[in-house]
Amino acid sequence: MAGTRRRARSWRWGWVLALLGAPAVASGATLSVTVTDSDGVPLEHAVVAAWALDANGKVEPSREPVVIDQIDKEFVPYVSVVRKGTAVTFPNRDPVRHHVYSFSEAKTFEIPLYKGTPPEPVVFDTPGVVPLGCNIHDWMMAYVFVTDAPHFGVTDASGQIILRELAPRRYRVEVWHPELEGSREVAAHDVAVDPDGASLSVSIERRRMWRPRRAPHAGDAGYR
Amino acid sequence: VRLQFRSFRLRLLAFVVGLLLLVQAAVFLAVNAANERGARNHIHEALALTAAAFQRTLGERERILLDKARLLSGDFAFKQACATGEHGTILSALRNHSERVGASVMMLLTLEGEVQADTLNPDVHGRPAPRRLAAVLEAAMRDEFGEVASIESLGDTAHQLVVTPLFMPEPMAWIVIGFRVDDALARELRETTGTEVSLLRHTPGRGWRPFASTLPPAARRDLVDRFSAELPEAARPLNLTLAGSAYVSWLAPTESVGGTQVATLLQRSLDVALAPARRLRMMLFGIFGLGLALSLGGAALLAGRVTRPVAALARGAERVARGDYTSPVEVRQEDELGLLASSFNRMTRGLAERDRVRDLLGKVVSPEVAEELLRKDLELGGEERVVTVLFSDVRNFTSLSEQMPPRRLVELLNGVLTRVSEIVERHGGVVDKYIGDAVMAVYGAPLGHADDALRAVRTALDLYAALDDINAELGLGGTRRVGMGVGVSTGVVVAGNMGSTTRLNYTVIGDSVNLASRLEGLTKTYGVGIIVGEATRSACPELSFRELDRVRVKGRSEPLAIYEPLGPRAAVSDSAREELERWHEALERFRGRDWHAAECILAELARAHPDAALYGLFRKRVARLRVDPPPAHWDGVTTFTEK
Repeated sequence: MAGTRRRARSWRWGWVLALLGAPAVASGATLSVTVTDSDGVPLEHAVVAAWALDANGKVEPSREPVVIDQIDKEFVPYVSVVRKGTAVTFPNRDPVRHHVYSFSEAKTFEIPLYKGTPPEPVVFDTPGVVPLGCNIHDWMMAYVFVTDAPHFGVTDASGQIILRELAPRRYRVEVWHPELEGSREVAAHDVAVDPDGASLSVSIERRRMWRPRRAPHAGDAGYR
Repeated sequence: VRLQFRSFRLRLLAFVVGLLLLVQAAVFLAVNAANERGARNHIHEALALTAAAFQRTLGERERILLDKARLLSGDFAFKQACATGEHGTILSALRNHSERVGASVMMLLTLEGEVQADTLNPDVHGRPAPRRLAAVLEAAMRDEFGEVASIESLGDTAHQLVVTPLFMPEPMAWIVIGFRVDDALARELRETTGTEVSLLRHTPGRGWRPFASTLPPAARRDLVDRFSAELPEAARPLNLTLAGSAYVSWLAPTESVGGTQVATLLQRSLDVALAPARRLRMMLFGIFGLGLALSLGGAALLAGRVTRPVAALARGAERVARGDYTSPVEVRQEDELGLLASSFNRMTRGLAERDRVRDLLGKVVSPEVAEELLRKDLELGGEERVVTVLFSDVRNFTSLSEQMPPRRLVELLNGVLTRVSEIVERHGGVVDKYIGDAVMAVYGAPLGHADDALRAVRTALDLYAALDDINAELGLGGTRRVGMGVGVSTGVVVAGNMGSTTRLNYTVIGDSVNLASRLEGLTKTYGVGIIVGEATRSACPELSFRELDRVRVKGRSEPLAIYEPLGPRAAVSDSAREELERWHEALERFRGRDWHAAECILAELARAHPDAALYGLFRKRVARLRVDPPPAHWDGVTTFTEK
């Protein structure tokens, strides 16, 4: 019951167990962020974004093209983080068509059944979480995290991301993960980055995620 | 005898019927108990199996319903409709989809459990789900795929609800699809399980009530409030009587995640289930009845086959006892009784043969001799016995024979001999032979009596006394009247079978036989009817005798006193005794050569008894001896030199 009520209040900040600084280094310091769940298990696919607290500099969208492939009826990568205003292409590497869509507030779009690379990339100009799906493959899922932060990245399998080329100052660090309790919120906290760099460990509470069952491959007989 | 046979028949019948009934009762009880027990066990097993099948059926139905829900949730247009967030659009899409799958209710709820649209309550949205539904959603959240199924009450009706997340592509909402649980479902389940199916729901304050059932209305009403809030232990047979019919029931609580208390009651009618057992029981009754009837008939037949021949044999035995050997016992059976009957008939024939022989023998010889002959093997030779021999002779017969035709004479002779024989046999004597008109009888062979001599003397006396009767019977009188002389002698003889090896007589041979014949002959000489010898007289002390003389008969050198029996001593009158004394005195004087005194007494006696030839005989002798006195060695013995 209590859980239900908490969820009912949802869309709120997930709570963050943040910590902690290390000695600063000269320009070009690094911030190493490690994300784990409440059990201490490292979390891959966690988005980490950082802003210098005292910087007002306008962040330009990335000029480099961001690509989300569809390979073997899965989106690759699973989680992408892009700067606000970035155009993303969805090349289909499979022999079958895909139908990419999102009903998200940040970006509602649909690329009806297509093969190859769609002629027009999709521009994500509103910060937020954009879950992607494929209309004809229920299990295909991917996330695009749209941010206006200057520094960002996605944790690797060890749950770590190292943000480089940071000026030693104080930063606000936001952490998001598809399984974050209150999935549209981010966990945020401040950290001072020394010239020597800094590291931050963030523990987030995972929520239960139900996934549609993946259909068997052609030729794979058997009960789902 | 008949009564006894009837009772034998009854006994046999009672035994057979009693035994059969006992065996049948035991068999019936055992079979019936096993049968009924088997039937009940069968019901219990069947119900347990059915309960498992029922659970599988429900599970299968759940999966099918879930599949339907998944299909709906995967519909892209539906997702788009839901993404609009417009209540009307969503409700309309829900109605459309519930129609597609034949659902009774379809709802869309936020992941947090807020109703967005509800086909049952079209106006409600933006409110938390009802408590039971919220509990179901919570269970879905715990599921790996966010899916759950449960039977729940929504309002007044029960639905089997399935919940699945709506992926857009993330799980964004809950789709709830419900299918009404009602009598139609119960009937469907009855089709697959073959049992009566009732679904009960517990409502606080209202108790357990059926909400879907295949039972007839009366039984269904009877099910209301049959169980208390605390259900009886599940998965074990219950015996319920609903509207007068007995049901073996199986209570299976059905899983409800929303807190709705639901139970499934599977039932089989005991009457229907026991019908084969009852049919078997009726068959048993039939078979036993038939068996009883057959045994009764068989036993009666068997008893008849025993008692009828036995009765026939008994009647045959009675006939044989009466001396009727002519009708054999009619028993046509191959068994032991048939054997007995033919043996009986052979025996009857044997008896008839023997009787005929005995009859014949009895006519040829006396019955006692015949008995003796039949009793022993016939062999020559004999044994020494003391017997008394009686000789009787019909007087006057010779003169009669001259006056009569021979046929009449034979009739007469036969008549006399028949009477004589009768009297002899009455006194226990054995007629040894007939010698013309004479009869020889023996007392003491082949069977002896202590008073054989007395029997013989009494026979003689009776013969003499019967003379008048015999003459009257035979119509003889006057000059044609027959008289009789009897001689009786007692002594040792040889008794046995005499003759040749092929032809023989049972008779007695000895001096006594000859003597009896001689004494009979002397009766004429002494003018008396009966003469007995000394030995006979000594053997009869109770009789009174008159000594007649001392004689020396032909063939015997020893002198012998001869006597005339007068009858029992007590019966002798005073005058007769006086006469007897005078006579004995005269006889003494005569032997003492006192001729004068003898003559005086004899004359006196002759005067008193002019008929008595004896006195005249002795007076003649006295007169002759007076003239011609005897020699000095005279001993008073009269010697007879002829037969």
